[in-house]
Amino acid sequence: MFDAPHSHVLSCIAGHARHNPDKVALVEGNQRITRGQLITNIEAAASYLTSIGIKPGERIVLSARKELEFVYLYFAAQLLGIVNVVVNPTSPSDRLDYILKITNPIAVIGLNHSAGSYRCIQFDDVKLNSSNRGESSCVWPKVSADDVADIMFTTGTTGAPKGVCLSHANLSGSASNINGFIGNNDEDIEALGLPLSHSFGLGRLRCVLMAGGTMVLVGNFANLKAFFTILEKEHVTGFGMVPAVWQYIKRLSGTRIAKFSNQLHYIEVGSAALPIEDKRLLMDLFPKTRLCIHYGLTEASRAVFSELHLNAENLESIGKPVSSHVEVCILDENGAPVPDGTDGELCICGNMVMKSYLLPDDNVEAFYDRWFRTGDWGHRDSAGYFYLTGRKKELINMGGEKVSPATIEDAILSLGIPDCACVAIPDPYGVLGEVPKAYLQRSSNTLSIEEIKQRLTQLLPTHEIPVQYEWVDSIPRSSSGKIQRLKLKN
Amino acid sequence: MENKVKAIIARVLNVDLEVITDGLCSGDIPEWDSVGNLAIISTLEQELEIEFPLEDLFDLTSVQSIVDEVNQLMHV
Repeated sequence: MFDAPHSHVLSCIAGHARHNPDKVALVEGNQRITRGQLITNIEAAASYLTSIGIKPGERIVLSARKELEFVYLYFAAQLLGIVNVVVNPTSPSDRLDYILKITNPIAVIGLNHSAGSYRCIQFDDVKLNSSNRGESSCVWPKVSADDVADIMFTTGTTGAPKGVCLSHANLSGSASNINGFIGNNDEDIEALGLPLSHSFGLGRLRCVLMAGGTMVLVGNFANLKAFFTILEKEHVTGFGMVPAVWQYIKRLSGTRIAKFSNQLHYIEVGSAALPIEDKRLLMDLFPKTRLCIHYGLTEASRAVFSELHLNAENLESIGKPVSSHVEVCILDENGAPVPDGTDGELCICGNMVMKSYLLPDDNVEAFYDRWFRTGDWGHRDSAGYFYLTGRKKELINMGGEKVSPATIEDAILSLGIPDCACVAIPDPYGVLGEVPKAYLQRSSNTLSIEEIKQRLTQLLPTHEIPVQYEWVDSIPRSSSGKIQRLKLKN
Repeated sequence: MENKVKAIIARVLNVDLEVITDGLCSGDIPEWDSVGNLAIISTLEQELEIEFPLEDLFDLTSVQSIVDEVNQLMHV
């Protein structure tokens, strides 16, 4: 069995398998994979990657399908020091083209995308056969904990995705922080409805396997009936969700989920703000469950946590740093600390803060010295609790999915509208948190709003199409030409 | 009506019409996630001028169940 001193996550997974190889680690549909089988399959996947000539330090693009093969390949690459570029299986082709261009992978696995010089492999083609299995005598390459393990992509304010380089130490540090806060252990059985292409979902996978628990892979939350059946059948003890999923659960099923209250030991919520009334409702429905609300970014995963029952008097707060390995401070526009109670930019340093962005240009204003700049505004009170009050970055947070207004504006401009600007407005249906509204400059263009909406369906994913439109005489811009979105919002 | 409902689902999810089979369930394909499901519900309500009863939403888990519900609401 492998040893992976560079990755505490992998070391723990292997350690659990040594201790009790027959305990189930993964469930997908009717397949139940024990810890021992997980290790065997990770080693087989590592042998496969080696057999096709992929070397440590090289990059593979991995489609984050909720399948066992993804899990094996993901950890196999980390075992070998191969860099995972994890992408959403439904990424639009232009986003994917850009990611492929800037990451220059050796292979693309699990996607129908064969436009470059890389090798294109389907999950079905990945051979985890007996000749690849159980190669415990393999000499695995030496990998450093500071080497890049994953490159995850986030939405940049200009519309171009930003590659976030996370080291093995970052991933292990983050998982240790989270498990320490939530209290994950080897008795946990978690249902994973979150996407694996996001930091939150992939992080849950690492946390549960590192703790020695069982992860049940669920397609997503769309089919709540199926999700509830899995909670019952698998005796699930915890799950993670974004606030939009909570709104979805409420809308489609009312409070039926409360019947699982006694069996759910924890629920982690994050990636967007959860309204206070929903925090109170969750506390009422789950009086004995640890309700762990996180604040974080892909670049600085789950930096701050609040457990609602323990912070019942402080529900407006996002909480305190997740562990003693993480520091959060409030800095002014010159990078200087501000007194408690004064608004400034939330800045983070700690064991899970990314090494850097992939492209040098993205790093220019990313840090104040050792402090990662989140772009979010808020303050700290005298008791050390942090509060969010605004966002400097202009992304629209739709149910945890961040969308750059520039992407939507480019699509609208391509229709011949002379100028436009998109801003976030509260979702009128109260589900997604924020949705886009478009301001359009009047002109001789004869397109109606309905025609614009219709044409945008060809250019944008459904959820990115603005829900409200307003004609204006001009779009407010600064002297340097930058859109002044706050003026539109006000 | 069945074909119209399937065409709307395919358009909202941005997948080929052949993918939208009777037995396809929400969550079976990455495109049909919770946001996609809400988009299907609201688009069908707007374009067909119907309103799904709240108590029925939990059970609308497949293409067939959605088609059946639309037929019932439109008295087809």
